Amino acid sequence: MLVNKELCIGCGLCIPYCPVSAITIVNKKAVIDQDICTECGTCGRKNIVKCPTSAFYDREDVTKHPRSIRKFFSDPTATHVETKVPGRGTEEVKTNDVTGRVDKKHYGIAIEMGRPSVAASYRDVEKMTMALAKFNIEYEPCNPIKFLFEDEKKGTLTKDALEQRVISTIIEFNVEKDQLVPVLQTILETGQTLDTVFSLDLIARFNNPTKMPEIPELLELGLEPRPNNKINLGMGRPLKEA
Amino acid sequence: MSHSLHRRGSKCSLKDDFVLLVTPAVNINHKDSGPKLWKILNIVTEVGPNNIGSYETGTIYTGVTIDDIRNNMPETPRVRCCFDSKDSMFEVLKRIKEEDLGLSITVSGLNDDILDMCQELDIKPHSVNYSFGIHGATEKLPPEEVLEVLTMCGHGMISKNLVAKAIDQVKRGKKTPHEAAVMVAQPCVCGIFNVSRAEKLFSKYIEK
Ligand code: SF4
Ligand code: SF4
Repeated sequence: MLVNKELCIGCGLCIPYCPVSAITIVNKKAVIDQDICTECGTCGRKNIVKCPTSAFYDREDVTKHPRSIRKFFSDPTATHVETKVPGRGTEEVKTNDVTGRVDKKHYGIAIEMGRPSVAASYRDVEKMTMALAKFNIEYEPCNPIKFLFEDEKKGTLTKDALEQRVISTIIEFNVEKDQLVPVLQTILETGQTLDTVFSLDLIARFNNPTKMPEIPELLELGLEPRPNNKINLGMGRPLKEA
Repeated sequence: MSHSLHRRGSKCSLKDDFVLLVTPAVNINHKDSGPKLWKILNIVTEVGPNNIGSYETGTIYTGVTIDDIRNNMPETPRVRCCFDSKDSMFEVLKRIKEEDLGLSITVSGLNDDILDMCQELDIKPHSVNYSFGIHGATEKLPPEEVLEVLTMCGHGMISKNLVAKAIDQVKRGKKTPHEAAVMVAQPCVCGIFNVSRAEKLFSKYIEK
């Protein structure tokens, strides 16, 4: 995003709205740090940040590779050029009752890099995917991050991607039940080396409809689920029971 | 993405916070799902959500009405919205079940409350997406009282500085908790930010 200096009156109204603090006032004009800006679009939304002079405008290359990577992983209203799917992830648990993507023999894992509030560079994302390479992970085919790998087996990302920063990006895959603990251990250890945060999701299947699925081995890792989660009610048809 | 997951806060502050998502699955039951989604949208708007929006128009806190949102929805609308009571969430689920439409429904909220509703309605939950918290460089996170507000927008559109500003304005009597909650809700473009909950969270800053 850019600011038209002719129009900006330096009122500062926009500053608190930027989720990554990319906007500052320099010589009485708003300036956006282009390395920090994730192209989320918030400052330019006229019904939200009511810039009195409509001074925000898009960079010419915002929908062109590689700047587009920022946009498509940061602006929820943008549709991804490669997958044509809006959003940063997939249908994950939302349609699991009919897709059966996570069956009873597996768990689904998602590592939401940069979430909440910190944002993420793909250099940090690559640290995680390289650390996971030893598990021969098959990443979720519909997740747009698939298009950013240089070598998926090694977990390396393209040079273009490594230069980008986004609000958040999701590393998403399934694991066999007996792989869960070592995979999570690796994720938590790698987390200690990152310059950002991540939110950790785990998809599990219900065995008993009146009781939340239990995964006792996670307590050993100091992991306890929050009391509030996202539940697929199994109302989709045709239902995948397996 | 799992934008309704990872809402922070105490169990007590999360008890009146539910997000409903209805998702047709591509290549499975997506075709002809438009009329079914409209039926659900009608149920939702009759019961009355706390927040709802669409990318076409914005949310009900950015100057449009539910009717504007409905009138500008595409043929296959997205249904995602939030409710601020268990009663209204229950009513919506009951009516969706009666319609028996066969679309995937997910609800985010306290496990105990969702399981209660399922039992009462004879719904058998299929899968859960668990939130196992925040890890990594957690020293970079804003304080918990800011996080519990901004995590109500899972796309990360709400800035920590905006929440801090809202808290400060409530403390100084420049905004009511409701005005502050609406200001913070606006950047959430999907309309799953719970304004009633934010209002309650901000009320504690009113100088006595
Ligand atoms: S809101 Fe508009 S006029 Fe005010 S500082 Fe920001 S860009 Fe400039
Ligand atoms: S587009 Fe988003 S990240 Fe960039 S300056 Fe505007 S609000 Fe900040």
